Order: sequence, then structure tokens, then C-alpha cells
Amino acid sequence: MFEYEAIRPRYETSPEVEAIVEAVSVCYQCGTCSGSCPVAPAGGMDYTPRTIMRMIQAGMEDEVLASTTVWTCAACYSCAVRCPRDIDITDVMIRLRNLALIRGTPARTGLARKGRIYNRDFMDIVRRFGRIYELELVLRYHLKTNPLNLVGMAPVGLKMFLKHKLRLLPEQAEGRKEIQGIFYRLEDEKK
Amino acid sequence: MKYAYFPGCSQGSTAQEYNRSLLAVAKRLEIMELVEIPDWNCCGATPAAAIVHPTLPHSLAARNLSIAREMGMDSVVAPCAACYKNLRKASIDLRQNEELRTQLRGTLSNRSLSQVPTVRHPLDVVVNDVGLDNIPVTKPLQGMKVACYYGCLLTRPAGGFDDIEYPTTMDRLMEALGAEAVDFPYKTKCCGGGIYMFHEKVSFSMSADVLAHAKAAGANVVAVGCPFCQLLLDLYQDKLGQVRDTTFNLPIIFFSQLMGLAMGLDRAELGLERLIVSPFRLLAETIDAPEGSLEKPAKPRASKLKKWGEA
Repeated sequence: MFEYEAIRPRYETSPEVEAIVEAVSVCYQCGTCSGSCPVAPAGGMDYTPRTIMRMIQAGMEDEVLASTTVWTCAACYSCAVRCPRDIDITDVMIRLRNLALIRGTPARTGLARKGRIYNRDFMDIVRRFGRIYELELVLRYHLKTNPLNLVGMAPVGLKMFLKHKLRLLPEQAEGRKEIQGIFYRLEDEKK
Repeated sequence: MKYAYFPGCSQGSTAQEYNRSLLAVAKRLEIMELVEIPDWNCCGATPAAAIVHPTLPHSLAARNLSIAREMGMDSVVAPCAACYKNLRKASIDLRQNEELRTQLRGTLSNRSLSQVPTVRHPLDVVVNDVGLDNIPVTKPLQGMKVACYYGCLLTRPAGGFDDIEYPTTMDRLMEALGAEAVDFPYKTKCCGGGIYMFHEKVSFSMSADVLAHAKAAGANVVAVGCPFCQLLLDLYQDKLGQVRDTTFNLPIIFFSQLMGLAMGLDRAELGLERLIVSPFRLLAETIDAPEGSLEKPAKPRASKLKKWGEA
């Protein structure tokens, strides 16, 4: 095994981006990630994972952060476990999501915007209750995106209700205060 | 053996039958005692790292692991694939990374993070700790052709209890229960559960592929070990059929429910009536069918394969 110097970004950027660029610098564009990805061929991404890797190397920060791909990645780790360069591509995608929100990069597509809303609401509920409350998540998401969808959701909701698969009231963790403390401390750290 | 049990959010809502059947099976097995972690919290699923902080999933998991340690447990059992992945990752990272431990101790306001428990999936525990020979099968699953669907997070990221591409743990379990485990190439393909809320079309096309391949492999039932896979393949099966212009009519059953059936547990305990695609017709045609009315069972296939980790 030979030692190599990771490609460094040739421009001024933040330490978070630098860490991502360094992780991706060893990518040699074999395309195993795109070939393994179940979402890309189903039409769920605007750039394939391989393209995203190349865009990162090329320093196309804003384009990457605005992309749909970072939000529609299903985090199934198919690419990460097969990457011959051992890049944790799933982890890179999730870091990019985090970065897109910190930077406030506007979403390029409606899908990327919806992905952000869904992820945000999810964590908002976990912060409040210490556990997830599915009913609120679904209602909030659809009210924010397209309330008319709720009409279409009604039969599914009824089906779930009849099979006792719908939790009507939230289940709360006793240690909510402690959990909220974790959120606050981590958010402070980010500032 | 005693295990700390981390049910996870879904076990209280969409996957109550998974929870009930697993606890019933564990009770019958005796050597697998599950003690629920008091006041556990959500593992953060996928959104945690993205929204708040890259170490939030580790922090949320660390709280649960620390409580389990206080209970005096060495291992935590997590039946949901997403919880399992998050807790397992945190447990491995915490044990290996001193810096992370110090950092998280601050975030968790000085909870003890020494000797973090290991994290296991119930499939792993049943097959590798309890052992296939120790499962009391009283009503073999004759006539069931099972597609064992692991989904993405039971075996990934690497380093878990089975191969990342072609795991056989569940297949071997099904054969031990008397079912036929069909050769199912889509066993570790992702169902799209993580994105179906905001990208229904794509996740439905992914799930429809899984069911189409299960059907093509000759399965008459799909066994799962993840609440999201189960929900998507079961609740939306009529819509998945529309994607492929067909009717799948495949019951999607948790592996623990199938174990309960084979072990002759009280069926009311297994929550079979909660499944959207009713399994009762299948049961009548297979394990409840009169003796001699079924064709001869196929030879075991998965049990003959080399086990993971064997040279």
C-alpha cells in the first residue's frame, strides 16, 4: 500500500467542506456507487452519486448543496459497502444535508425542499417527545407541502386505524428534559 | 441469557405485532430473556445527523446504551433495522474512539460511557446465541415458500452478523422452521422506506421491484425483520401492484411471527390479524393443510451454503 497525499481543495472553504472534500478526494470515478444505488435508476436523483463525488472534487459546493440527490439518498449503504476506495458515501450525503441547512443554501428542486421539511419536522418531534409521533409528522408534512394530499391519505389512515397501526396520542419519554439538553448542547456547539 | 431490549418507536405503533410476537417467542425460548430499557429514547433514524449535528445519532444512542449498562446488561437487542444500525454504529464507535467518548460525555452531561454494551439484532440472537437446534418446532411451516427479505440496514454498514450482499441467517432459520427459503436475489435491496414520505413514486418503484422479484423467485410469503420494510410492502401492496400492473397478494410477515407459528404459540399472541395483506388463506393452504395434501418439500438450500465467516 503506497502513501498518497489527499487532494486538497484549491480554494478557501470551511473546515466542514474540507473534511468532505478530503474524504471524497480518493474517488476514481469507477461508478460502483451509481450502479449500486437503488434510487438513481428509479429516477429519484438529479445527479447520480458518482456525479456528486466528482462535483465535490471540482469544488462545485453550491450546486452540490442545492441538489435533490443529497435529500433523496435513502441511506441504504449499498454504495458505501461496495466502494473500492472505502468512501462512506452515505455519510458524505448526510454531512452534505447538514451543511446545506447550516449554510441555508436554497434547494434547487421541490423535492429537495420537501426532503428538508420532512427531516426537520421529524427531529422537531423527537426533540419534543423524546420519541417519534407518526401522526403529527404526517399531518405537519402534508399541511406544509400540499394539504390536498391528506384527502388521498385518508383511506390509508383508516386502514391503519382499523388494524391498530396508528398511534393516536404521542408516547413521551420521561427523560425529555435530558434529551432536549442533548439537542441544545449540540446546537450551541455548531454555532 | 439476559438482553436489554430496545423496542424503538415503531414497535408501539405500526409494528406492534412484531413486538408482541418477538416477546412471546423469547418467553417460550426461555434462554433469551428480553428486559426493556426503561425510558428509552428515539434513535434519531436518518434525519438526526442531517438536521442537528453529525454526532446527534451517537448522542441519542449513547443515552440508551448508558441506561442499558446501568441495568448491568452486556448486550442490547434492537428489532428495528434503523435503530439497530444507529445503536450498533454508536456502540462500535464509542468503544473504539476515546475522543468521541469524552466529547459525548459532555453532551450527555456526564453519563457513564464506559463498557458500552454491544448491539444485536434478534435474528442474530435467535440463530447464533439460541441456536437453530434449540427452537422447539411443533408445527413445521410446510408448504411455505419464503422470500427472506433483509432490506438494507440489517446487514449494512458492514461488520454485522451476516454478509452484506447475500446473507443467509434468516434463510437458515426458515429452513429450520420447516419452510422452504427461496433463492431471492433482492434480499438486501432497499425498499425506499426512508424517503417514501416525500418521494412516494420512487420508493414505490423500489418496493415493487422487491415484490416482483420475490414473486418471480416462487415465494408465497415474504419474511421481514424491519418495521419499515413491512409497512411499505404490506400497507401499500395494492399501490405497488399498480406500479407493476399486477396483484402481488404476498403476505409480509415478521420472522418472529413465523417462528411463533412454527413453535405452536397461541396465534392470538402473534398479531397476525394486524397484517394488511391477510395471511390466513396462506396458513390454511400450508401449515394448516391436511397431511399429505401438499407436494413434497424441497431440499434445504440455504443450510447447505457456507456460513458467513467460514473459510
